[in-house]
Amino acid sequence: MHSSECGWQTGRHAALRVCLLHFAFCIALAAPAAAQISLVGDWVGRYHEDNQDRIPGPDLGDYTGLPVNDAARRYADSWDPSRVSLLEHQCEPYVSPHIYRGPLQFRISEEHNPDTQELIALKQYLGTYQQWRTIWLDGRPHPPEYAPHTWMGFSTGEWHGDILTVTTTHIKAEFFRRSGIPSSDETTLVEHYVRHGNVLSHVMIATDPVYLTEPLIMTEEFVLMDRGNQNWLYNCEYATEIDRPKNDVPHFLDGTNPSLKEYAERYGIPLEAARGGAETTYPEYMDTLRRMLAGGTPGPPRTPVAQTLSGPRGEPDPSTGPRSSRAGSRGDKARPTGEVHTFHVQGNVYLLAGAGANIAVQVGDDGVVVVDTGNSQATDKVLAAIRQLSAGGGDATARAVNKEIRWIINTEFDRDHTGGNEAISKAGRTVNGNPAAVVAHENAAARMAQAGVADNARPFNTYFEEQRDFPFNGEPIFIYHDAAAHTDAGSMVFFRRSDVIVAGDAFDTTRYPVIDAKNGGSVAGVIRTLNRILELAVPSKYLQEGGTYIIPGHGRICDEADVVEYRDMVQIVSDRIADMVKKGMTLAQVQAAQPTLDYDGRYGDAAAFIEAIYGEKKR
Amino acid sequence: MMPWRPASAGPCHRHSRAMKARPPVLAFVVVLVVVVATVPGQGRQGSPAPPRTERSAAPIDLTGYWVSVVTEDWRWRMLTPPKGDAQSVPINAEGKRVTEAWDLAKDNAAGLQCKAFGVGGIMRQPGRLHITWADDNTLKIEADAGTQTRLLNFDRAKHAPAEKTWQGFSVAQWVGPPRARGAGPAPTPFSPTVPGGGGSGLRGGPPPAAAISQGGSLEVTTTAFRDGYLRKNGVPYSQDATIVEYFDRLPPSPNGDVWLLVMTMVDDPKYLTQPFYTSTHFKLERDGSKWKPSACSTDAPAK
Repeated sequence: MHSSECGWQTGRHAALRVCLLHFAFCIALAAPAAAQISLVGDWVGRYHEDNQDRIPGPDLGDYTGLPVNDAARRYADSWDPSRVSLLEHQCEPYVSPHIYRGPLQFRISEEHNPDTQELIALKQYLGTYQQWRTIWLDGRPHPPEYAPHTWMGFSTGEWHGDILTVTTTHIKAEFFRRSGIPSSDETTLVEHYVRHGNVLSHVMIATDPVYLTEPLIMTEEFVLMDRGNQNWLYNCEYATEIDRPKNDVPHFLDGTNPSLKEYAERYGIPLEAARGGAETTYPEYMDTLRRMLAGGTPGPPRTPVAQTLSGPRGEPDPSTGPRSSRAGSRGDKARPTGEVHTFHVQGNVYLLAGAGANIAVQVGDDGVVVVDTGNSQATDKVLAAIRQLSAGGGDATARAVNKEIRWIINTEFDRDHTGGNEAISKAGRTVNGNPAAVVAHENAAARMAQAGVADNARPFNTYFEEQRDFPFNGEPIFIYHDAAAHTDAGSMVFFRRSDVIVAGDAFDTTRYPVIDAKNGGSVAGVIRTLNRILELAVPSKYLQEGGTYIIPGHGRICDEADVVEYRDMVQIVSDRIADMVKKGMTLAQVQAAQPTLDYDGRYGDAAAFIEAIYGEKKR
Repeated sequence: MMPWRPASAGPCHRHSRAMKARPPVLAFVVVLVVVVATVPGQGRQGSPAPPRTERSAAPIDLTGYWVSVVTEDWRWRMLTPPKGDAQSVPINAEGKRVTEAWDLAKDNAAGLQCKAFGVGGIMRQPGRLHITWADDNTLKIEADAGTQTRLLNFDRAKHAPAEKTWQGFSVAQWVGPPRARGAGPAPTPFSPTVPGGGGSGLRGGPPPAAAISQGGSLEVTTTAFRDGYLRKNGVPYSQDATIVEYFDRLPPSPNGDVWLLVMTMVDDPKYLTQPFYTSTHFKLERDGSKWKPSACSTDAPAK
């Protein structure tokens, strides 16, 4: 007993010595690296800069200090604050480049690897709108461009001494300033967290190729809270505040916003200066201000002032890019890249991106459903991706093992949606042993027949009703006819249990909707389809995020809030052109008036879109 | 619970003595830790390190021409705000009274044109800073707005002069993490380093060693200054205020921009209800071609 005890104790001493030596060497090795400063704690804002903007709210028409372009001005000029009373807008939070500009308390905590104690992420809980952020510090990459965007975006961080630098992408569209200055979903945010004692300086540098000509830098101070947490809760529940038609998206037509001059007049600021722009943020601009205040010439007039406050339009803003040169620039992203990428949307549904139009694949015990088949050139890669999914390669929990492709559904009849029909159908098999069945609206089959598409590439399981549904892989699948949207042959597919909608070309995040009037398309139909998506989609939280995911005809995965933004755009542009038609303007005059100026940086060439709407409104 | 037992009291006495007979093990550990912790960052091999100066010890390079980019408080900085407009500033009743009594003509007549260009307000003036080393232990900040000069003294032996000035007497010290041994010099202006470890700057985690800004800040405490204005329109700070600033050179932006952040804390019980925090950002310029000194002058309020 003694011997044993002593042996243990002897071993313990030996172990102690070894531990001490290890400790010493660890200290020796660790000594050069300074541990980063802790940001953990509850922080509350100080509002000693831009108090008007950050607490009570900015004045309409106040664009000062912002390096905005003409597109942003146009957006803000038409912004009607009552738009937030629309049901789908009511509970939308601010995005990460904006939320720190409001009244805010937030908590930072750390997440460590339980085995190594390595700091792998910082978590933030923001009291305003109950938002959570995760700042990954473990070197992981950002998601692909077709991944969903969120209000807070996807963030990674790195330490530079005691400064934490955070890069955030995948941010939804919202605002830089509540007065309607927009931020696009192409915004990238770089933050620097700089702590001095109990004061945290938060630096934000936002880059937005759609609405800013230079990065926008802003800073806020937060003070460590001594006592407890006073973070707010925000369980938003929307309610009908104003009874209005479904298509009513509040906005101001050109020259009708009564508030744009109020801010400048109240403070004696030259109107030109109140409209912002990068040049107004540099010291040299003080000389320009003095000249303007003295009644002198301010310099070359900026066209948007004249445009949106009174009437005639000038040349396009160079910062937005020549319209022709931007034509198709967004659409190019949707062209086949040579690689087909698989992305799990949710439930049993996956996105295959890079094959032309987006492809959705539902996989389960019953087999495989493929919605759209992409370009014919990409078929081999599409099939390879489907086989990987059907073998369980996309998800470790997938139960399907080499399941057959049973169904193909075409949302459109265009070749980028149907190019792989024949090959993918042949690669599959119905329960009767035939090639996989291709389903589409009967108009699609008719259009393809007219176009001389081979029999084996055309849909033969057609429907003519408003809606069709069938069960597959344990979930109801609904097919809705998009009457007169992109064409008269479109379908929208809703996987009800997976909670995923495949929208077809009525919803395309890479460009304006393509309205194929010759084949029965219309802007009214596009709006109707977008509104139907909004009826079906339900966000997972009170705060308009996640829940139902929507796969557009082209572009990234979206949720309801993204569709709302797109619906608003289509409706607003449609209203503007309708107003111009009412005033007797010709198509050339409408094109010159740039009714899509505020969206061109995001969606590219608008000529065909404008022409289609013009033709429709003329009828 | 087992009581603690002295090593000599039990059957393990022999082993305890053996332990006692080996003090060098623990001594070695202690010595190793102490040696490692005290070895200076440079000069471990070869010739003795040159005398340490604050300039050579600078963890960040603040020198160069910096332009203020006025994206915040635009109305209050680019123009002279209306009389009595102290929005955002936590002034108390006395501060409000003094603000409302502001008289630009009276200031000008009294030769107090530089009152808005003193240490409490100079960083908020749109303009450019030219930062240089006056000597190895003194950093000089020149502002073209109001043609002001500040000297930031690292030498603790120096004391504030009896006469108060607009810019006062500033004592500076480097603060922040100790720099790693073997680390290169502080990044120079426009050094081709960007944050991010690749993937177009979109990856997280530690960036390549060469791209790491080692961080560190300059803390500046200023005394012996005259009464001045926080804002052009006479929002006051008193000569008894405490003014502390932190200068941080931010890691380079993906587009190559280099930013200087100056966080200013003005604690003035005479006119403020709480410390007044502002953070002003300046962008590094390649040269002084836009340097444009001007005399202290405040425009009349626009309205």
